[in-house]
Amino acid sequence: MKINPHNILQHELIGLRTEVEDSTNREVEGLFGTVVDETRNMLVIENASGKDKKIPKAGTTFVFELPEVRVRLRGDMLVSRPEDRIKK
Amino acid sequence: MKKRRRKGRIEDIALQRIERLFELAEADARENKIKGRSRRGDRYVQLARKIGMRYRVQIPHQLKIRICKGCYAFLVPGENARIRLRGDYITTTCLRCGKQMRRPYKGLGE
Repeated sequence: MKINPHNILQHELIGLRTEVEDSTNREVEGLFGTVVDETRNMLVIENASGKDKKIPKAGTTFVFELPEVRVRLRGDMLVSRPEDRIKK
Repeated sequence: MKKRRRKGRIEDIALQRIERLFELAEADARENKIKGRSRRGDRYVQLARKIGMRYRVQIPHQLKIRICKGCYAFLVPGENARIRLRGDYITTTCLRCGKQMRRPYKGLGE
């Protein structure tokens, strides 16, 4: 089973293109780029100019681009270590 | 003997994630050669290993030989790894920590 909207919570987020749609920090709203690293509380997004932006998961809404669809996710649901997320 | 458990959904996703991380490490290494940015491969190996250990999924052999057994670096031949044939086995030397990994290549397959 490949990555799809049903298993995205368990799947690898690194490598996906994403957009910050809504955040408690107004500065980063609209940020678009590729996820390059993930920790328990942060996603590191590389933007178009090649800069790494560390975005807290909590309080942020992300729109992930999957091969066919776009998925809007509340970052609060992603707060956990990347290797712990498969089993929830 | 107990029947081997069928690979479940969780193991399936874990394996996919491991393979994906190695793909990304490979892509990053290739891109890095041109742009000269900091490498992320080692971090992706670290994540892949963690996923493998947590869900008891083995890292496929073809991918495992890209990891240094001493310092867990993502090995890119010509970049941070030296690969030599020595008699009956292949030696891979990690150029970061100096660890030598040996594996046979004769008498396999046909």
